[in-house]
Amino acid sequence: MYYLGVDVGSVSTDLIVMDEKLNVKDKIYLRTRGRPIQVIQEGFKLLREKYKDGEILACGTTGSGRHIAATLIGADAVKNEITAHSTAALEMDRDVRTIIEIGGQDSKIIILRDGIVVEFAMNTVCATGTGSFRDGQAERHDIPIEEFGDYALKATTPVRIAGRCAVFAESDMIHKQQLGYNEADIIGGLCEALVRNYLNNIGKGKEILPKVFFQGGVAANKGIKKAFEDALGFEVIVPEYYDMMGAIGAAIIARNTVRKTGRTNFKGFGLAESTFASKSFECTGCPNCCEVVRIYENERAIGCFGDRCGKWNTRLSVQTIA
Amino acid sequence: MKITFPHMGNVYLAVKALFDGLGIDYVIPPKNSKKTLEIGSLHSPEELCLPYKIMIGNYVQAAEMGANTILITGSCGPCRFGEYCEMQMNLLNNLGYNFKFIVIDAPGDIGVTELFNRIAEISTKSKMPKHKKFQCVKYALDVINLADKLDAKAHWLAGYERNRGECKKLLHACKREAIKCTNPKDMINVLKDYEKKFDNVELDHAKDPVKIAIIGEIYTVIEPFSNLYIEDKLMSYGVSTRRELTPSWWVKNMAMSPTRLNSLDLKRHSKEYLGLEIGGHARECIGEAVMAHEDGFDGAIQIFPMGCMPEIVSKAILPRISKDKNFPIMTLVVDEMTGEAGYVTRIEAFLDLLERRKEHVLSGS
Repeated sequence: MYYLGVDVGSVSTDLIVMDEKLNVKDKIYLRTRGRPIQVIQEGFKLLREKYKDGEILACGTTGSGRHIAATLIGADAVKNEITAHSTAALEMDRDVRTIIEIGGQDSKIIILRDGIVVEFAMNTVCATGTGSFRDGQAERHDIPIEEFGDYALKATTPVRIAGRCAVFAESDMIHKQQLGYNEADIIGGLCEALVRNYLNNIGKGKEILPKVFFQGGVAANKGIKKAFEDALGFEVIVPEYYDMMGAIGAAIIARNTVRKTGRTNFKGFGLAESTFASKSFECTGCPNCCEVVRIYENERAIGCFGDRCGKWNTRLSVQTIA
Repeated sequence: MKITFPHMGNVYLAVKALFDGLGIDYVIPPKNSKKTLEIGSLHSPEELCLPYKIMIGNYVQAAEMGANTILITGSCGPCRFGEYCEMQMNLLNNLGYNFKFIVIDAPGDIGVTELFNRIAEISTKSKMPKHKKFQCVKYALDVINLADKLDAKAHWLAGYERNRGECKKLLHACKREAIKCTNPKDMINVLKDYEKKFDNVELDHAKDPVKIAIIGEIYTVIEPFSNLYIEDKLMSYGVSTRRELTPSWWVKNMAMSPTRLNSLDLKRHSKEYLGLEIGGHARECIGEAVMAHEDGFDGAIQIFPMGCMPEIVSKAILPRISKDKNFPIMTLVVDEMTGEAGYVTRIEAFLDLLERRKEHVLSGS
């Protein structure tokens, strides 16, 4: 018997299958590529070979695509990323007091005390330092993203890079390259700049105490981890499934929901074979002119998004906070 | 003369009642929408605050419907709103619109005679006898008071309703019906009918909903479009909310201000953290945060437009209150770039935080 968690993010879609003792049995990491529906189907195709529909006790979704994913798979819980990430971290270690989470386009800080979230913040107007930016930089340097962090560790005297704005950071890096600084020092400098930016922006006024968990795709970057440790002055822990924490949290929350409701809404892995289509139209009911999207599974409407008044879909807005 | 005015919460209901009663020709701009904001952002300076842009959108859309006179309130107060009327006059002139502006300022700033002159520009257009005119003003005040009261009722009862969504539905139905009325008395009757309907909403008093105070800059807390309908959202989540700043509060506050007896409780509660008037409604924001804590609320959400000077000051003070009183406060900054997904994520996460805290206290663990 298993729990399923799905995290549909801007860059990646993660699926996780855990057994009843919350041991990770399977993890699937896929690039979202702007097509959340197809990616979920792709993931389900892989899972269908190993698991039967009846074996899934509960399923939950999170991430920016959580609502669409929930409609598709029949989720028991639909949760925001902040709650999902903190649930997963607390499951692994009750003593965690700070979570640094840097994903594809979001960076977040979550402050916990005695096992509950007391404060959080998310980047608002700037996405420097998130995965998307780093992807771009790695590509520009012609270094595989997986090795990007190792380069930073080789830096002997990291160069100071302007990290406030992604575009200016890039200009500054090009400038430093043209002055002849070596690659490792520049990448090392970039890591430091991004950590500085994170701590000055999102971390401003927050009491960052150990244990600190570093989660999200960017946690794979050893250079950033080290830069955080240097800036904070203590160890930063990257949990084993750092890139799956959202999905793990969603699965745990779904388990808790099903414990209360007694049954799962999971629609089964069969959706891998369904044809999904979406049609959008502008509602003319009021001057608000909402752009409504309707999702069809095999030509049957299964959900609606984008309407503010709930005329097209009241079910989902009520479901979000269980 | 065809008068129009910018939107701000329930104001359009009161103004409609007033002009219907006086028999003056007017245009209500289309409800605020993405279109309004698009028009406003296109013409306004980029760094200006969100309310300015939405208001410009209102004027342009009203002009398309034949409006040629704009009625707004002014303030010579130390925040950008004080310069709105002058800048908007200039901007609309440059765009080639020929609007006449009637700016209602506080008598302390422009003098009583000037104020009466400005009011006369409108009131002389009505053929009603004087005492009827006063009656119309009274009706308009009744409308705004009732409408704001119904808002407050719906926002509060949403946490206790047995059938999720009932209050929200009722409130929207009420507004839809009220706007159809063609004379102020009918409108008042509609609002009173709905007041009774709210009393009959089936409640579950055993519920202990999350209670949140909505605080911050006056326009963005009152005008639902500008805050991405946060109160509607919270109603669907079954959260009880309270908001002190309303158009009816503003009227009362302005009328009382010469006596210095206005909003005494807010002044008293803000004293410890912000003893001075620094412009805008920063002091009210601080006072509301402290009051919400005293009244047993679970948290507060501060909303203000990007670049709002007074609220930036209060934003810097709120963490102190939050820490001193162990009272969670979240700040949301809105402008035309605000993405709804991130906004909703923050609200949901904040609700989770408040709920967990609540459970934690109750279970004593």
